[in-house]
Amino acid sequence: MRKNPSLRCLLALAILCLTSLVHSQEIGSPGDPQNLKCVTHNLRKMVCTWDVSSRRRHGQTDFCYTTIDHPLTECFKTKEKRVEIPVPESSTTIKITTNSISGTPFATREFEIRKKDISFIPLAPHILSLTPDFPTSTLTLKWSDNGSIFPYGLDAFWQIEILRKETMEKVTQVTYYSKLTHEDIILSWNWTSDMPLECTSHYVKIRCYINVTQFVGHKDWSDWSPVEESPGKDTEPHGSGVFPQDTVVAVGSDVTICCVHEEGQQIKRMTYGPEAYPLIRLSSRSSAIRVLNASASDTSGTNVVCSLSEDGMDGTVLFVGYAPDIPQNLSCETSNFELIKCTWKPGRPSGLYGKRGTKYSLFERISGKNVSCEVNEMNKERVCGFPVLADQKTYNFLLGVSNPIGQTEASLLVDISQRVHPKTPEKLTVSGNSSTSVHLRWFINGSFAEIRLLCQIEISNGHSEQKLHNVSMPGGKSSTYTAQLNTLHPYTKYWFRVRCSAADHFWRWSDWSRIEEHTTLEAPPARGPDIWRERSPSGKSLKIFWKPLSLSEANGKIVSHEVSCYLLEKPLEYKEVTEPSNSTEIKLGRNDCVVSVVAKNHAGSSPPSRITTVELPSDNVKTDRAVAMGNGIYISWNSYPNMTCGYIVKWCHSSGSEPCSVDWQKFPSNTTDAVIKSALFRPGVRYNFSLYGCKSSGYQLLKNITGYTKELPPKRAPNFTVEETSSDSILVKWEDMPIEDCQGFLEGYRLSFAKGEKDALKPRLLESGNPELKVKNITDLTKKSLKILDLQGKTSYQLDLQAYTAGGLSPPNSLYVVTKEDSVGLIIAILIPVAVVVLLGVVASIFCYRKREWIKETFYPEIPNPENSKALQFQKNICEGNKTLKTLEMNPCTPNSVEVVETRSAVPKIEDTEMMSPAADTVVPEDGSDSETENHVVVSYCPPIIEEEISNPPMDESVGSSQVVYIDIQSMYQPQIKPEEESEIDLVTTAGYKPQMQLPISALKIESRSPAEEESDKTAGYRPQANTNAWNMDTPDSPGSVESNNENASFGSPCSINSRQFLLPPKDDEDSPKPNNIGWSFTHFFQNKPND
Amino acid sequence: MPGGTGPSPALWGLGPLRPHGAWDGSSVGLGIATHPGVVPFVALLLLQRRPVAGRALLVNGPGCPGNSLCRANVHEQTRKQVALLNATAQDLFSLYLKCQGEPFSSESDKLCSPSGIFFPAFHVNRTSEKKEVMVAMYKLFAFLNASLGNITRDQEELNPTAKELLDRLHNTTKTTRGLISNLTCLLCKNYNVFQVDVSYGESSKGKSTFKKKQQGCQVLRKYVQVIAQAARILLPHLSPV
Repeated sequence: MRKNPSLRCLLALAILCLTSLVHSQEIGSPGDPQNLKCVTHNLRKMVCTWDVSSRRRHGQTDFCYTTIDHPLTECFKTKEKRVEIPVPESSTTIKITTNSISGTPFATREFEIRKKDISFIPLAPHILSLTPDFPTSTLTLKWSDNGSIFPYGLDAFWQIEILRKETMEKVTQVTYYSKLTHEDIILSWNWTSDMPLECTSHYVKIRCYINVTQFVGHKDWSDWSPVEESPGKDTEPHGSGVFPQDTVVAVGSDVTICCVHEEGQQIKRMTYGPEAYPLIRLSSRSSAIRVLNASASDTSGTNVVCSLSEDGMDGTVLFVGYAPDIPQNLSCETSNFELIKCTWKPGRPSGLYGKRGTKYSLFERISGKNVSCEVNEMNKERVCGFPVLADQKTYNFLLGVSNPIGQTEASLLVDISQRVHPKTPEKLTVSGNSSTSVHLRWFINGSFAEIRLLCQIEISNGHSEQKLHNVSMPGGKSSTYTAQLNTLHPYTKYWFRVRCSAADHFWRWSDWSRIEEHTTLEAPPARGPDIWRERSPSGKSLKIFWKPLSLSEANGKIVSHEVSCYLLEKPLEYKEVTEPSNSTEIKLGRNDCVVSVVAKNHAGSSPPSRITTVELPSDNVKTDRAVAMGNGIYISWNSYPNMTCGYIVKWCHSSGSEPCSVDWQKFPSNTTDAVIKSALFRPGVRYNFSLYGCKSSGYQLLKNITGYTKELPPKRAPNFTVEETSSDSILVKWEDMPIEDCQGFLEGYRLSFAKGEKDALKPRLLESGNPELKVKNITDLTKKSLKILDLQGKTSYQLDLQAYTAGGLSPPNSLYVVTKEDSVGLIIAILIPVAVVVLLGVVASIFCYRKREWIKETFYPEIPNPENSKALQFQKNICEGNKTLKTLEMNPCTPNSVEVVETRSAVPKIEDTEMMSPAADTVVPEDGSDSETENHVVVSYCPPIIEEEISNPPMDESVGSSQVVYIDIQSMYQPQIKPEEESEIDLVTTAGYKPQMQLPISALKIESRSPAEEESDKTAGYRPQANTNAWNMDTPDSPGSVESNNENASFGSPCSINSRQFLLPPKDDEDSPKPNNIGWSFTHFFQNKPND
Repeated sequence: MPGGTGPSPALWGLGPLRPHGAWDGSSVGLGIATHPGVVPFVALLLLQRRPVAGRALLVNGPGCPGNSLCRANVHEQTRKQVALLNATAQDLFSLYLKCQGEPFSSESDKLCSPSGIFFPAFHVNRTSEKKEVMVAMYKLFAFLNASLGNITRDQEELNPTAKELLDRLHNTTKTTRGLISNLTCLLCKNYNVFQVDVSYGESSKGKSTFKKKQQGCQVLRKYVQVIAQAARILLPHLSPV
């Protein structure tokens, strides 16, 4: 701009022009009045002020003005440079003359003031009051609009500024609009602070702007009014507390809470609920916290606690909740035309309770009547009553809902005559002295005079469904209502209850009344009983059966039945049978008659039921099978055209020991089939039905039918036995089954067989899944036996027999049979061993015969030759020290055989036994030739033993060293000794050498030993000191045994004290079969496996 | 009620006691202000085995009624009532704190400090005279009864959904009422005392919600402490003679 001179010139010109608009023409001489300004505050008068340019002292000023519309010039003197003159309509000419102190004019100036040169600035508003409302944190500002000085209808704008804290921080500035009414109006404006007013001081100032559209001059805002103050609690000397107190705010609000304390204290912290918030300092005695988006508080509100120094605590409670929800399902009805009951659901809970809870009011727009509602906050449904107004049927309800946060409403237009919900009928009574009708009375509280009532009577008895009976009747005022019920059944207990509603405009039924009970009187039975008759097998008596009448037919309690028999209207027999019998027997002989049965109760007799006793002869009565159908039995028959009065199916129920009870069912003559049902029918029980046709002349048996309601598997299998067994076949035979066990029509038998031993642990044949299982199905029920072929000989078979019906298989009956052995094989098995034995016997005989001399000489010499005695030879060899003799070799000293040399006895029979010693595998030849004796190890020679035996003289002098009895220490069997020699040998063994332990040989003799002998065993002779239990079972040939230096050490087996050979047979020998068990018995050939 | 805690009809209506209901701080009956902040209430005038006629500050009759007013099991019943209150006091206090919201539970020591509230002096011990103990008990439970009434009223307004708390407050108030009746009976029967000066605390009516919560908390905390002491002291005195 500085670089552009032309632009500067234009700007200067503009300023000059603007100045000329405000100021009038100016004559720039010294002392002249200048800068004349005229301002109006009320559009009627204006204040004109001017300056005097000279500094020269001057006296009064002459001020004259002339307006166009008022040509007369008015002048007055003034000492001030300010005059108030009327605002001209268009313009005014002002002449100002400045006089000197002496009064001499020294400067005169004329101004022309046009209307546009006048400024309009209203006077500053005056605040009448500033009132704080602490609970709501609201400031109320009041001021006057001074409208009386302005023309009517001007727009006024009020600018209000709110300041806060000691530093007067600007909080907000708002503009308020009003219209001036040419009257002084006190205007009021409220402002709600976001901070409790107690927290700190608040200040307010105001100014205005009046928009006078006709005024062409300059218009401007007034000056600000003086500041008005609302002091906070922190300005009070002892003011303290937490604010706001008990305030209710909406969920989601931003809340400021402050803590004002006394001088000298400090706020340590402020908590909102459990949470601490940052402090906002307001003043030296006040701080605040700001909670944003507050969430709903608990029922008892959210605690705000201010913790002060020195453990001081103060607090407040903030209730954060919701505005009330719109009521839902508003509904109004009346139960008595006295009070309208409106109900609704409150919707979302407000979360506010007690005095902050939701309040309801019911306003009726037509009548303008308003009621407040007392509601229970804990109920889900709210209820409010409104009185029924006279001559008003239509009600326009407005349900107002409010709480401290907000309010809402719901409306309902209702014709109360169409919203009738009567109260529960009371005092229901039932009376009547008829068998078919009753009279009901009940009371309903309420005024129903203007409507008709529809009442519903529920009738129920124990047998049929409930029935509803509607009765319409004119309503009354708290009246008793009556109704008559007909067509009831006699002698029946009924239960009645009643409910009512409006008849014309149904809305809701009332609740049911309490139930009232009534029993109708008895009436004669409606019909005669259903009867049947049967002649006795002898034909001399007739049994008459009747079925009890149903309750609906009996019409009372049946007390008896009259049974009479007529022959051509002439009574032959009469009986009265009292309850509860349902049959009777009359003696007719061979006569026939018409039987009549009448049921009687206390009210009378039934019509008679009649049946003829005539039974027509039947030919070729067949027996058919019936078919089970559902829980009944379906039977059918051909149509018999001459059966004019229908058919009767008769059957008999048998239950246990009680006699069979006859039952029957009648069918019309056009029927050819029926499903017979009975609660007494049981599955698996055979029922026999007899179909009778009815003719006018009598009844004729047409056919018999048997059947089951349901066939079951037979209870058990038939008993069966094995009649015959061979090596490859078994013949089984079974018995008939009783019908009771069949439980259905028997369709066949099933015989299953497979190899199998009798073993309880084995699964049943049918369950075992045996691949060799064979099944034979016998469908020919007349067949009672079966031969099973192609079996293996001497094999055990399991046989299962089952019966089956359409219902399934019975449990099996089982047998175990072993087939016989093949006879050819048996014969071969017998003959071959016999032949071998015979052959061996012959060979042995021949051999013995040929060698008889040698045998005799060797075993039975007439004079025993010591030369031939091996024992002596043995001794001799020892003495001669024949080194060639193996038996004299010391190592190993393995006895092969012991030959007993009986020097004293005349019977030197000692059997040589084979030595099984591993050291001497040599087999002793059977012939005892001398040439062979060198290699024959006969005696185990153990010198120390011999020496010991010899060196120890026997106790009995008569017994020499030669009396030692040697036994084969490896043979566990007693040498064959003749009985007459036993005692002697015992004596020898007692006196001489004895085995030092209880050998098995002793066990063989133990039974024949006397206690004295046992005692002598205990006391006599030497016994090894070793513990026999600790003996090692190793053979002495084992290295350990050989190397042992201790001759008397225990060997691994009981051994003679001087022997290294076992006294007990080796382990292996224990397993060898004992002689008694050796051999094959012929009985094995004939041994059959026993049958069960 | 188990344990015989129901109010005994022994001396029901003997004097203008306010054993139940809220105390609103206004003067009742023959109230005489003795010191600021405490509204004294003359329930029974303490007369020690002296003739009553003409001397007593009559309340509702000339003095103690006949001895037949006390039931035979009044000692046992009183003992059970005190034991019951002692047994349920802590639970009541804990539940009260829970229902007031935080930080009442977490900072109950500071918020519920009984300093600064009125509570009847209870300076008796096991060696005190039996009559002295009974009178102190009467003053204590009369105060507690009124305070519990105030607390119940405040909580019904503030916590209408806290059914368990309200039930416990009602039950405790009922037991206290029965206990007062029995103490009245025992005082009259054994010591011919039928008037006792009782001081009640400051009413919570008109106070802010926070102050109501705090005052109830302070009273119940003190109640927990004092009822334990009362049980220790009173029970030996109530053992069957």
